[in-house]
Amino acid sequence: MNIKTVEYKNMNEVMHIYEHSSGLKAFVVPKKGYSKKHAAFTTHYGSINNEFVLPGEKEPIRVPDGIAHFLEHKLFEQKDGSVMDKFSALGSRPNAYTSFSQTVYLFSCTDLFDENFKLLLDYVQNPYITEESVEKEKGIIAQEIDMYRDDPGWRSFFNLLCAFYHNNPVKIDIAGTVESISKINREILYKCYNTFYHPSNMMILVVGDVDPDSVFRQVEESIKVKESIPKIDRIFPEEPIEIKQNYIEQSLAVSTPLFQMGFKDTPEYTKGMESLQREIGIKLLLEMIMGKSSKLYNYLYSQGLINNTFEFDYTNEECYAFSMFGGESTDPKRVRDEICKEIERLKKDGLDKESYERLKKAMKGRFLRSFNSIENISHTFISVYFKGVYLFDYFDIYDKITFEYVTELLHEHFNMSAQALSVINPS
Amino acid sequence: MQTETKNEIVSKVDSFNGINIYRIETGIFKTGSVNIFFHDNLNEKNVTKNALLPAVLRRGCEGLPTLQEIALKLEQLYGSVFDCSVAKKGERHVIHFYIEHISDKYASKEDELFKNSFNLLLDIIYKPVLENGVFKKEYVDQEKENLKRLIQSRVNDKVNYAIDRCFEEMCKEEPFSIYEYGRIEDLEDINEENLYEYYKMIIENHPMDVFITGDTDETLIYDAVEKLKSLKRNNISELDKSIVTQAGTEVKEITEKMNVNQAKLSIGFRTGISSDDEDYYSLLVYNGILGGGMHSKLFQNVREKESLAYYIFSRLEKFKGLMIVSCGIDFNNKEKTINIIKEQMDEIKKGNISDYEYDSTIKSIETGMKSLRDSQIRMVDFYLSQTIAGTNDYIDTIIEKCKKVTKEDVIKIANKVSLDTVYFLTAN
Repeated sequence: MNIKTVEYKNMNEVMHIYEHSSGLKAFVVPKKGYSKKHAAFTTHYGSINNEFVLPGEKEPIRVPDGIAHFLEHKLFEQKDGSVMDKFSALGSRPNAYTSFSQTVYLFSCTDLFDENFKLLLDYVQNPYITEESVEKEKGIIAQEIDMYRDDPGWRSFFNLLCAFYHNNPVKIDIAGTVESISKINREILYKCYNTFYHPSNMMILVVGDVDPDSVFRQVEESIKVKESIPKIDRIFPEEPIEIKQNYIEQSLAVSTPLFQMGFKDTPEYTKGMESLQREIGIKLLLEMIMGKSSKLYNYLYSQGLINNTFEFDYTNEECYAFSMFGGESTDPKRVRDEICKEIERLKKDGLDKESYERLKKAMKGRFLRSFNSIENISHTFISVYFKGVYLFDYFDIYDKITFEYVTELLHEHFNMSAQALSVINPS
Repeated sequence: MQTETKNEIVSKVDSFNGINIYRIETGIFKTGSVNIFFHDNLNEKNVTKNALLPAVLRRGCEGLPTLQEIALKLEQLYGSVFDCSVAKKGERHVIHFYIEHISDKYASKEDELFKNSFNLLLDIIYKPVLENGVFKKEYVDQEKENLKRLIQSRVNDKVNYAIDRCFEEMCKEEPFSIYEYGRIEDLEDINEENLYEYYKMIIENHPMDVFITGDTDETLIYDAVEKLKSLKRNNISELDKSIVTQAGTEVKEITEKMNVNQAKLSIGFRTGISSDDEDYYSLLVYNGILGGGMHSKLFQNVREKESLAYYIFSRLEKFKGLMIVSCGIDFNNKEKTINIIKEQMDEIKKGNISDYEYDSTIKSIETGMKSLRDSQIRMVDFYLSQTIAGTNDYIDTIIEKCKKVTKEDVIKIANKVSLDTVYFLTAN
């Protein structure tokens, strides 16, 4: 068995890699002394993949919104009952989540890792979907959708995406709508499964105090497919560079208005080290512009315009990218204007080199801290993996990134015509 | 408190002047942390001031008089993380100050991250920004306004709101009904002077717990303890224990209306069992079988069989001996859902507990307990709860005691659990 080991000495971490003949790669990040062992089986398939060409066919098909998430629910069903029961009997916690571009099946356990891992590998490769169980699931997912409709943070996020995007499927709620899932049936679910759940489109990650050799041996024994398949033809609609609208609002049962705003980015640098560099560069800028140690944050806070809930982030994926920031505010429009004013000022006056160095070190420390949590390691590892980079690569970027590059990004990304604001008002 | 388990050593380092200092020694993390807790009874008189205090203190301290300067300092300390808040543990109100720093072994020697972080935390608590000998008026006024909004924004999170409101209605006549962030009507009478007087009373007279976690050097911890010895302390107040009562004879029915898309049902029960009771471990197992995970009767029947809910669970409030069942459902399914919940509770009473349900529960408790060791903050919370409840359990002893619980013990508990309040949040 061909196992590669990469050491990250300055972080005191190691990664082991094994590649199966099907093209599937498996990874182990050992965490000595931890109690939990965390394993995830991921397919590069999420809510945005609603149009694609079936293997062996020529014409693309358009599938109902929310189907990747629906399939995630349905994979738990097995011929001999729900796989949840089997995990429960082993005392472990199975879970799964669907994001825009991935579906992740996982469990965490403290004992009986091998048994749990075998179960995970088996059920993800063996769907058993009946018409009856599909109908039953519609009721459960309808309740999940309704729960999110009452979540103001979730709503303001998707509304912002609707303001950014004309056609990009990222603006569609991951679970779809009650209406769209009503069109889902057994046959379409299998079509999606057969397209995206081939091992060459998947990866396995185990984090915890485990023996890598034994993990990889289990992978080798359990993956039945031995050959890889050609690249899947994923179809994305044409998306203009311009935003769709710069303001969007909705009323919900909240006490104070909530807002999310940000800048739509061109998704040109979404692969490899370039994407990580851009991500860190823009996150550094967000810290410099509106982080807790910035003048702007302290001004907005002391004016009562923002509070502790204020946060910011940057996302950079295969066909979309944007920065986003927000929280609760009595006057979101005023906050928007102040932020835009400060950005224009920084463009004119230039960035402060000392803050840049200090924040770079702080972000590096906080990145190191994120390795405390097994769930965090797993989640971030998976979310960057299909961009062709490893989680550990972030660490070096902090040393390589330059002040000049970050200054360039300030002018390039924070383009006022690409800015939009989404507000949730009290009803 | 001293025990040695596979992965961590918990020990009481010292105890003086109403300050207990604990150390949780573990080498697996990239960081260490310092946690300082001030204890108070949960009562109407103090609750709002307790909630306001950390909010005012975090605004600045001597040498770093603004939020901005504190943030800057944290960034210089290789991105140390500071936070403070209040929490309610039964009828105990706890003010929590916390700093997490990169472990000294990952930084250069001159960074002295533990020492500097510890000192910063003490400065924030003990050297507030003063104006004319009292708190800075501007900070107090702004934080009063922020706290008012925070209290109001409780409705934003419907899942937790429905749980809090059920407990509130259920314990209307008891201190436990008080919201941990206080009451808006108290804010008007609080000012920079009386809050400062109150602050001095809290830091001098109230019991404190200090938890230091990570792999910090022994001598550095010794220095930290010496610093804590020099704090000014007076007569230390005695605090009350949470009161555990039985349910009344009449079930309370509460319906609240709001502009929502999904209804939330919360059902409150009294068990009469507190966490220092021998029956407590049986109650843990009972709760696990009823609604403590995917294997539980509620998940299997309300969600998997009937498709009524996406989430449903039961949860214990261990200090008060309360249990809550909560779920999100369609507006029209209230009665149907309540009936299934009652049926499932009756099943346990009748002894209809499968080996699968029983074994999965025990294993799930074991997994949950062992998992605590992978998080410093959760370990601190676990041992803090032990000191509040007056119990001397460790992760391993709880697992052992749960394993000894039999199905008969669970049936006995099922007969002690009585319905108190049904709370329903629904559309206008």
